[in-house]
Amino acid sequence: MGTATTIQPERILKDLQQLWAQMAVDQADAGGVLRACAMTLVVVAENAADAERVRQTVGVLMHNHPSRAVILHPGGSGAELDARIFAECWKPFGKTQQICSEGIEITAGQSGFSEVAKFLVPLRVPDLPVVLWCRGAAALEPGPLEPLFPLADKIIFDSSQVTDADSALQFLRRLRGHGRRVADLHWTRLTGWREVLAHLFDDQALQPAEVKGAQVKFGGSSVTTCARYFAAWIRTALPAARVTIESAEAPRGLHSVKLSTSSDSLTITLGSDHCVEVLGCGRHYRSMLPSSSEEALMQEELGILGPDPVYERALSA
Amino acid sequence: MTEVRNPFADPLRFERRVPECAIVIFGAAGDLAKRKLLPALYRLAYDRRLPASFAIVGNSRTPMSDEDYRERMREAVKQFSEDGDFDEELWKRFAANLHYVAGDVKDPQLYLSLKEKVTATGQANILFYLSTQPSYYTVIVDGIGHSHMAAAPDGAWRRLIVEKPFGHDLGSAKELNSRIHAVFREEDTYRIDHYLGKETVQNILALRFGNGIFEPLWNRRYINHVQITAAESIGVEGRGGYYQEAGALRDMIQNHLLQVMATVAMEPSAVFEPDAVRDERAKLLRSIKIMRPEEVDQYAVAGQYKGFRQEPGVNPDAQTDTYAAGTFFVDNWRWAGVPFFIRSGKKLPKRVTDIAIQFNQAPLALFGKAAGAGDGEQKARPNLLILRIQPEEGISLLFLSKEPGSGMRLRPVSMDFNYGTSFGERSPSAYETLLVDAMVGDATLYTRQDMVEASWTVIQPILENWNNRRFDFPNYDAGTWGPAEADTMIAKLSRQWRNS
Repeated sequence: MGTATTIQPERILKDLQQLWAQMAVDQADAGGVLRACAMTLVVVAENAADAERVRQTVGVLMHNHPSRAVILHPGGSGAELDARIFAECWKPFGKTQQICSEGIEITAGQSGFSEVAKFLVPLRVPDLPVVLWCRGAAALEPGPLEPLFPLADKIIFDSSQVTDADSALQFLRRLRGHGRRVADLHWTRLTGWREVLAHLFDDQALQPAEVKGAQVKFGGSSVTTCARYFAAWIRTALPAARVTIESAEAPRGLHSVKLSTSSDSLTITLGSDHCVEVLGCGRHYRSMLPSSSEEALMQEELGILGPDPVYERALSA
Repeated sequence: MTEVRNPFADPLRFERRVPECAIVIFGAAGDLAKRKLLPALYRLAYDRRLPASFAIVGNSRTPMSDEDYRERMREAVKQFSEDGDFDEELWKRFAANLHYVAGDVKDPQLYLSLKEKVTATGQANILFYLSTQPSYYTVIVDGIGHSHMAAAPDGAWRRLIVEKPFGHDLGSAKELNSRIHAVFREEDTYRIDHYLGKETVQNILALRFGNGIFEPLWNRRYINHVQITAAESIGVEGRGGYYQEAGALRDMIQNHLLQVMATVAMEPSAVFEPDAVRDERAKLLRSIKIMRPEEVDQYAVAGQYKGFRQEPGVNPDAQTDTYAAGTFFVDNWRWAGVPFFIRSGKKLPKRVTDIAIQFNQAPLALFGKAAGAGDGEQKARPNLLILRIQPEEGISLLFLSKEPGSGMRLRPVSMDFNYGTSFGERSPSAYETLLVDAMVGDATLYTRQDMVEASWTVIQPILENWNNRRFDFPNYDAGTWGPAEADTMIAKLSRQWRNS
């Protein structure tokens, strides 16, 4: 459900209030609706088609992270800003009462984009965290989104499509240096890999002091941020080990990680069916990686609103 | 052995790592194993929480092969898994780790067979789970001891999970503890109280000590009284034989509800570590005022529903309490004079377990009749903080609000927090939480010897009184909130039960 309106924050908030009142009336027989809100989630989509995908993703995220979603996307070339409001509702299994979260979709002309930050301030839910999700590789370059950064408690990027990993990481480090809390979904994609590697040390298949070297292999024509992250993560955990990054004849992304001791070695290699294969040091098994859908990655990131020291160390290394 | 910290740990993103181990379940064909343990272990596998290598070795008297046992458990998991579709592929991988050894727990040969089976799985760590009749606990522990299965090689561990009841009175609890300690150290003994594994019970600690607003009010100055209710709408459901020996006081209040009370009333621990938290719970249990014999009739009520004596397996003259209520006081600076009313019963109007914390009324009835009171009453309604444990885990705060419109009419409203709706994520079952805790060696939610003995000490005068008298049972109808004496008990202290 939704109504179009010319952008005026007070008007939008009033429309939202009316939307809630109307839903309460419509759902009165089913016990009304329950409004849930834990944060303001601002998403900058790349274009109108991307905004549609975002809306679907946000609909899924709302179940675990109910929020006021503000979806921004560019449209037209002028300075105009248009907004419409909507509600995402779902009915928990076995319940009659619906749970709803609210959303605002803002279309900004190219020259109007710089004005968006001003309008966002009153649209934030008071006293709750603001998470900004900047989609697309272009977001990892200085540009028109920068005025939005100071509004957010956490800014989420995705460096999977960038062609210059080092520049993207430099950009993130600069933001971090300015006190912004940043996250990168391409780091989040490594959680399954990292967990498999960490478990080898839990199970004492390897002892940290024994590891002399680590080789991170990536597929694709240029080094990816995930290879850089993985190498940096190993380097911060095992400062005495020699860590190298090499390319492999493989699809783009992380291909394998090999840890060597003076007498043995162990390799984790990406296999089929979203699994990794662990081989060496007396181990040979396959482990399934967690889902790497955008929804799953965002669920993980939205669950961490405070400091993320492991990521921050890897980013800085 | 020195523990080496894992430099790759990322507790913010990684689940707690369950170490490779074998779980030996005694009573593996019984109800608890079928309804709770195997579904919980399967769910852990589903959530990728179990290690790549683990083993479950079941034992009961029924002769069956590994395959037979797997088939039985497959049906049980399908039937009793609380949510999620059954995944045949996952089950195949999970079931490959399921083994079975038939045998009588009194037969020393059984333990040698179990030892052989566990050795064949290659697991160095063993978690023993006593899911049998309580009368076998000491026999099994002795058997484990005599077979040297409790002796762990360097770097490995042996742990024992014991299901309640931990004894049937203070003396038997001490005896059981002493027999267990002959084989297992206290730090390797995990007495399971599944109530403590429930999300809301754990959330009591988060609510109290993670927020700044509640703890300043959490004392005799602001809290009028606390009601803890564990009501069941069903009867004994075929467990008449067991239940007539236990009764509500032993079955619910001595363990679950006193532990819940301890969680509600304990002091904050200096750190959130197993022994620090358990020290505070134990301290609170030791602070509960022990009733003098002459006080029992005033502060405790027993009840039995009409029809209990006609249940299968129940003695037609049974004196069992299918309902028990008690008034407890805590002798410490924070709670002096604040009554804690605890009740539990079967065949009550509905299934509900909750804790209601009633705050003192506003000092001045500023709004008079308008404040939601009935005609002739001038008092404002007190605020209630309700911690719901089941069926729907959550927290509600009741307060007064002005009704829309002219005039100053007040109406009580409820501010609700519901686990299921506020966190879309599925809550793990209590057994999932507690099994993982035992495997990783976290005893925070398990009951320690001193806690068990302290709670029996609280109950002992009531037990002695009730064991030495004949009640005029039955004294309440099914579908009511228990005997009238329970209403009288609370009314004598100018309070009333929340029967809603």
